[in-house]
Amino acid sequence: MRILILVLAVLFLVPASGMAQKLELSVALSPAVITFPSSDPDTVPLVSAPPVQLTYRVRGNGNSPWSLTVLAAGDLLSGPSAVDISNVTWVATPAPPFQNGTLSKTVAQRVASGTGNINPDSIGSITFRLANSWTYSTGTYTQTILFTLSAP
Amino acid sequence: MTGRAPVAGQTQNATLNASINGLARLSLSSAAITFPDADPDAVPSIQATQGPITLTAKARTSPNGRITLTVRANDHLRSGIDTIPASNITWVASGAGFNNGTLSAASAQIVAAWTGSGARSGTQTFFFKNLWSYATGTYTLTMTYTLSAA
Repeated sequence: MRILILVLAVLFLVPASGMAQKLELSVALSPAVITFPSSDPDTVPLVSAPPVQLTYRVRGNGNSPWSLTVLAAGDLLSGPSAVDISNVTWVATPAPPFQNGTLSKTVAQRVASGTGNINPDSIGSITFRLANSWTYSTGTYTQTILFTLSAP
Repeated sequence: MTGRAPVAGQTQNATLNASINGLARLSLSSAAITFPDADPDAVPSIQATQGPITLTAKARTSPNGRITLTVRANDHLRSGIDTIPASNITWVASGAGFNNGTLSAASAQIVAAWTGSGARSGTQTFFFKNLWSYATGTYTLTMTYTLSAA
């Protein structure tokens, strides 16, 4: 009887220290360069870029929530010309955890969210769209956007 | 008992590129303009039957690029061997950037002009100078509109 009690103590104590997991988050985009082709605003009012594949993983998160956000560093710029970044929207799948949205340069916008772990890697698809307009000046516009995967 | 290391978040940058190329489009509400016959004393200036023609011009250019819409007659009004100078046709325009003018077979005349990309709409109402000296006949000419961005 004394031997049995010792064995049970080992069973409970050892796994308890082994469950101390480090939170691991990873996110990757392919391609990391998103290009909108030039199009006639009358025939293509919404210009789509090729879909971006987003690979992400959440480990050691228990039952806590996680979220993926995107924030633009500014408007689309080409020399002195600018196109407001809010003219860029996205359509993301699968939903959930992904959701559609509009880029912002001031507030990070939620792209996906969930609870617990995502392990192994999971993949989502994001298609960015640019509202086309005759008012845009000619040029090659560029801007950086920052995706952040976080678990509070 | 689950352990957790403090994490600010995993980040990934992406670059957005957008190409905006030069482009121009012009549309007219009517491709034909007709002047009815009239007594020169009673109607010295004949208005086109179609009334105001609406022109919609859309163009993309550089930030300070000049957009110009011109019209030119390919020839004088002709009816067989008889001719009437194209300059006997004038127009009155309305709309921001649109100008009144006189048709010419010698050079393109500016109908509208503005700076920077965008879409503009205006009208042209054509008038024909009516004279007793014209030989009878049905006269025709072709006008060519050109929308250009510099």
